[in-house]
Amino acid sequence: MARVITITSGKGGVGKTTTTANLGTALAMRGSRVAVVDADIGLRNLDVVMGLENRIVYDLVDVVEGRARLRQALIKDKRLPELCLLPAAQTRDKDAVSPEQMVELLDQLRNDFDFILIDSPAGIEGGFRNAIAGADEVIIVTTPEVSAVRDADRIVGLVEAAEKGTPRLVVNRIKPRLVSRGDMLSVDDVLELLAIELIGVVPDDENIITSTNRGEAVVYDQGSIAGKSFLHIAQRLNGEEVPFIILSDQPGMFERLFSMFGRRRS
Amino acid sequence: MGFFRELLGGHRDRGSSQVAKQRLMMVLVGDRYRLTPDQVDQMKHEMAELLSRYLPNINADQIEVSLLRDDENERLHAQIPLRRSQQGER
Ligand SMILES: Nc1ncnc2c1ncn2[C@@H]1O[C@H](COP(=O)(O)OP(=O)(O)O)[C@@H](O)[C@H]1O
Ligand SMILES: [Mg+2]
Repeated sequence: MARVITITSGKGGVGKTTTTANLGTALAMRGSRVAVVDADIGLRNLDVVMGLENRIVYDLVDVVEGRARLRQALIKDKRLPELCLLPAAQTRDKDAVSPEQMVELLDQLRNDFDFILIDSPAGIEGGFRNAIAGADEVIIVTTPEVSAVRDADRIVGLVEAAEKGTPRLVVNRIKPRLVSRGDMLSVDDVLELLAIELIGVVPDDENIITSTNRGEAVVYDQGSIAGKSFLHIAQRLNGEEVPFIILSDQPGMFERLFSMFGRRRS
Repeated sequence: MGFFRELLGGHRDRGSSQVAKQRLMMVLVGDRYRLTPDQVDQMKHEMAELLSRYLPNINADQIEVSLLRDDENERLHAQIPLRRSQQGER
């Protein structure tokens, strides 16, 4: 039976889709059977981030409305046979699906996978409701900015009200140099404000841009700091204890800490 | 953030992240409890009024109210500065 984990945020553009694609890939690389579901209906994105846009025949709404079977709509990843994508519809809007239909769809998927990751749309309305309806766990992504943290706090309340437990937090796009200069909220600041459990910290990393351009997950790039960070989150999801990397503003320091953790793992 | 600290340039030393954090604390009080900024001001005023029955040197304009949460609890945290001048008269 799969664990259904929804990745959401409130504010748009903070890294939900990037996180979903990379956690899905990392979990599959480590041997789990993973389905990633794009619940951002009308603004399909997960397919291009994963480089699978050319393979789409049917989408989530086709399945819900009975035009296609689930099996027909699931797209296999290029490299990892145990990783599948269920794409969103591009030409419909969020009201095309109800929370009940999402729950039903997930129940059909559950038996065949270990993890189902749902990429939520931004906002707190229908699309968000659909995305959390069938979730067992919720991960909130935020950046260390006032507006993103504020929206994240709102989402924490909504997730708790929907009885999905206390969500866990990914702080994305941290810039160590700005933090040490006192010009960016630190991870500790964000945690103090939101008071939820941290599951990952992902630095701002240009490798994400180049990977996304190619339609490849950054977790394939073992040398990249963002790739390492996403891999660590996947390990934590699997119940492994992985220490949080201490972000330093000196590039050399970064690398050293990383290879230290890398050695310990292998 | 205190008026005097700002005057002395303290918040510049602390960097913009601390300004962000302070602002967020205020905003989250409003969001979590559906209080408008006016209501928060009103609350601070009434707190000052009440407390000044016992403490004559409350600095009402500088009361800071924020929310702190730990794993279990949410706490309203009020910081109520007292004017120094009157302490000296003891
Ligand atoms: N850690 C990061 N470092 C650099 N760029 C990032 C990072 N995370 C996300 N981005 C970029 O930010 C943009 C928004 O990310 P995306 O995952 O699409 O956000 P969302 O799904 O929340 O709207 C994308 O261009 C993405 O490549
Ligand atoms: Mg997205």
